Amino acid sequence: MLQMRQVRYTYPGWPPVVDGVDWAMAPGAIHCLVGRSGCGKTTLLKLAAGLIQPEAGLISLGSQPVMSPHPHMGFVFQSPTLLDWLSVRDNVLLPITLHRAAQREDEAHAHDLLARMGLSALAQQRPPQLSGGQQSRVAIARALVTRPRLLLMDEPFAALDAITREELQNDLLAVCQAQGSSVLFVTHDMAEAVYLADRVAVMAQGKLNGAVQVDLPRPRQTGMRYTPRFNALCAELRAMMDEGV
Amino acid sequence: MQRSGWFSLLLGLLLLAAWELAATGLKLSTLVLPAPSMVMTALLNGFASGYLGPHVLQTLLEVVLGFALGSLLGFLGGVALGEWPAARRVLMPYLVVSQVVPKLALSPLLIVWLGFGATPTVVITALICFFPLLENTLTALQHVAPQRLELFRMLRASRWQTIWRLKVPDGKPAILAGLRVAVVLAWVGAVVGEFIGASRGLGALIIAAQGSMDTPLMFAVLVVITVLGWISYQGMVWIERSLLK
Repeated sequence: MLQMRQVRYTYPGWPPVVDGVDWAMAPGAIHCLVGRSGCGKTTLLKLAAGLIQPEAGLISLGSQPVMSPHPHMGFVFQSPTLLDWLSVRDNVLLPITLHRAAQREDEAHAHDLLARMGLSALAQQRPPQLSGGQQSRVAIARALVTRPRLLLMDEPFAALDAITREELQNDLLAVCQAQGSSVLFVTHDMAEAVYLADRVAVMAQGKLNGAVQVDLPRPRQTGMRYTPRFNALCAELRAMMDEGV
Repeated sequence: MQRSGWFSLLLGLLLLAAWELAATGLKLSTLVLPAPSMVMTALLNGFASGYLGPHVLQTLLEVVLGFALGSLLGFLGGVALGEWPAARRVLMPYLVVSQVVPKLALSPLLIVWLGFGATPTVVITALICFFPLLENTLTALQHVAPQRLELFRMLRASRWQTIWRLKVPDGKPAILAGLRVAVVLAWVGAVVGEFIGASRGLGALIIAAQGSMDTPLMFAVLVVITVLGWISYQGMVWIERSLLK
């Protein structure tokens, strides 16, 4: 599915922010990328999205190199980035209506996504009328409305309270499993990474320092967060991050 | 009406009463300062005799045409300059210079070029309305949140889609504020334009009243201009509120 080979990117006048990254994702996989602020996670995600081009290396989706944003990708930003002048429904349908008129099937899919996110009753509301958690849910529904093969997420829950974050993690897993979308999720929260991912990569100073395979069973349940295995995986990640400093 | 509204009305009535007392008590010449009661009589006589009506309609027509033309060109110019920085760098100095030139000084030239009648007044009104729209549209388009622009790039939106579906709706509050300023300036433009080259309209009527030393009529015309300007401003506020709901 997504492949990165020896990817490097440098902002002018600075050392490489992404330096020789190799990574591969299988269809339907959920991978997380953890690391300290400024380690290059967001830049790597933008490279994967085709929003910026690597100065060296190759990024491909399927058999095609990623030269620009791809119709089979969805992106969720750090903040929900909703359009205040559109209703929730129209925000969700935006990726479709930018290119063609929404069909009845698209409307039904948007409605289904909103229902899964518990937002059916708010479809005609405007974003400023929603809470932070509800806005994040709308942003996820918008990214999924085109049924992307790959969903790229840049710390989308970082600004939310712990309980809302856990609810959203469960919603995300359920919807992605239903659609079969792969997810590359950037976070600096190790517990979030372990809960969501099949595999967690640790990034430091532009390089991938290693990865942890998460062997927790699916579907993930909140109770798993308090198991010894979950804590052991978090400790393993923490040790890897400390080594990378 | 809110309490502050009542106080505002009361203040106006007190000022009128003071003016009436001063004008009658001090026995000021009506040539210098007619009492409000005299102004009101001149105003009612003007409308009752049908003398004021055609002048009001003429100025109203020029205001509407000049405001529509100037606002449309200002908006389109703002969009164009906001999108093409090279054009902005080349044209902006000339546009600023065109606004610095006093419009009253332009009036004789416009009469030479366009002849007597409504056309030069409409052009002056349009020139005055042009700049607030240009500046506000330009500023609005340059201040769209970078993450929203990135979202539209991720959704593979074209330049036109980014303008009409993101930048213009996002900049609507600033653009509407420009319209609010322009609608007030339109009255100034139309009246000033009529001072020089018109035989009809409220500006021409002020000059005619000055020539016949009919100061109450001059005040009556000023009252009409003030009331119409206030109504058009309030109308624009109402439109703005409806569009920003």
